[in-house]
Amino acid sequence: MAELKKVIKLRTVISASTGMAIATSCYVAGIQVATILVGELAWISILVAGFFCLLSAMCFSELTALYPTAAGIKLFIQQAFNEKTSIVIGMFYVLLGISMVGAESYLLSSVLSSVFSIFNPFYDKIFWTIIFILFIMLINFRGVFISGVAQDIMTYVMVAFMIGVSLYAFATIDINFSLAAKSAKFTFENVMQAAAVGVFLFVGFEWVAPLAEETTDYKTVGKGMLLAVGLLSITYSMFIVAMFSGLTTAQLESGSPIPHIMFGKNLFGAAGLVTFSIMSILASMTSFNTGILNTSRFAYAMGRDNVLPRVFSKLHPLYATPWVAILFLGCFAIAISLVTLVTDMYFFVIIMAAALECFIYVVAALCVIRLRKRKPDMERSYKVPFGIVIPVIVMAVFGLLMLGIFTDITRDYSGKELFNNYWVAVVMGLFLLCMFLYTALIVPIFKKRAAERAQTKVKRRPGKA
Amino acid sequence: MATSGEILEALADYTVQCNENKRLRKMQRDWTKLIHFNAEETGEQFTMNVVKGEILSCEPGAKGTPDVIVTAKSEDLCDMFWGDLNPSQKYLQGEIRVKASQEDIVRIDAITMIIWPD
Repeated sequence: MAELKKVIKLRTVISASTGMAIATSCYVAGIQVATILVGELAWISILVAGFFCLLSAMCFSELTALYPTAAGIKLFIQQAFNEKTSIVIGMFYVLLGISMVGAESYLLSSVLSSVFSIFNPFYDKIFWTIIFILFIMLINFRGVFISGVAQDIMTYVMVAFMIGVSLYAFATIDINFSLAAKSAKFTFENVMQAAAVGVFLFVGFEWVAPLAEETTDYKTVGKGMLLAVGLLSITYSMFIVAMFSGLTTAQLESGSPIPHIMFGKNLFGAAGLVTFSIMSILASMTSFNTGILNTSRFAYAMGRDNVLPRVFSKLHPLYATPWVAILFLGCFAIAISLVTLVTDMYFFVIIMAAALECFIYVVAALCVIRLRKRKPDMERSYKVPFGIVIPVIVMAVFGLLMLGIFTDITRDYSGKELFNNYWVAVVMGLFLLCMFLYTALIVPIFKKRAAERAQTKVKRRPGKA
Repeated sequence: MATSGEILEALADYTVQCNENKRLRKMQRDWTKLIHFNAEETGEQFTMNVVKGEILSCEPGAKGTPDVIVTAKSEDLCDMFWGDLNPSQKYLQGEIRVKASQEDIVRIDAITMIIWPD
């Protein structure tokens, strides 16, 4: 069979997967990991989280090998369970995933308002949040795609920058690992709690799955995901420890949403502030742009499938982009961002995203097990080794990590209680309930109307009328 | 199972519908692609050449190196080209498989949606 003219290479799969995971919010989440455990030993929890994400990446690889499609998560669940379950979980994952934009744009606007002062800090943040989201919406409207080469350059520059800065920090800052190991906070329980939050650092690596449609070999995507998780684990482990060690106690206690900017300033002065700000913008751009791109296509497909209102399937007359879906998701992102700005609860969104990711990893592992039973003979170009052992481990570990998140309390560096995490479970539960009610009550109406339209439509194919 | 002749007949109608649709031509004005269609149970292949939104040719066989590869049952291909089937639904069920960028997948779906709005 012929192969595609333009084929995505392993290098680009790794950069796309890595680029989706690296975001401005990761720096704050990294500090939270360091706060739960001991800063100098944060790398242990990051590597633990990375290792489990690696196992989860194997599950996603098998699913992608089975169904290499942009419909991704919905199709896996539909084939493993049924259509209703796939709609509930697919929409829950995609829409709640967009709420991460709230934290991301809040943090990016904090970075930008710290560099460019226009009105006052609060209004500056609102201004930059709206400008940033509108800019992403505009390039999505226009159908501007970040090409493979541009994606490669941006991601590898970011990774090289983070590793380079970490090495410089290690050479110039005295880090006492043995003293940290004696801390009372260095316990197995804290290592796992921090690893649960550490899962956030890897959020989005699995969004690379749709690229399977642009490769010659579906194995490339699986391999790329695994390598990306490995690369992220090493990069974050080094950078978070370096950043934590490079901040003063006063800076850590301030609970600033821009620890990386402070770190850059401590290390390199004004040049550090500017460089770290640029890196932050790049990180937010790549992850958020891909987020809107994928979710708008998902919403478009749902509109075409009569799961969402038909208006979601409207395409821009000039650029052939799903403009209603982009507009809706952009407005939703602005609303979430404004709520985050007013309430200052960006940590809540970060914790929720970590829990959501744990949840979807459990679902993916469950899909692998179900599809092994339901479709044992279907060709898989990649199969997770050791039978169902790894999917079962993924289910157990991420299930427990999710429960660990829900039963914990989020605190700042000084130990002050920020919120009880069970509220995260409550919000996610309510959202899941909304999705369930929507699927049970609204979707059948859309489907019924579509069926009625189909009945009245005259078949054009000769002999089939 | 649709025969090769039936698929070609459907492709011929599809070509006319696409090329005569002004809205579609405007939207696809910068879309130049070589598309292969594979009927999975018969193994037959067809090549469509689209230049700046205009379908220049549809012929049997796999010619050239494609930008897009669409694989489906011959009946589904036939129904899709006649506008009797919503390709998005089949795609979401994994019954129509497309190897292409996400942009191209939306564009292909857009063609059927615009010429045969349901």
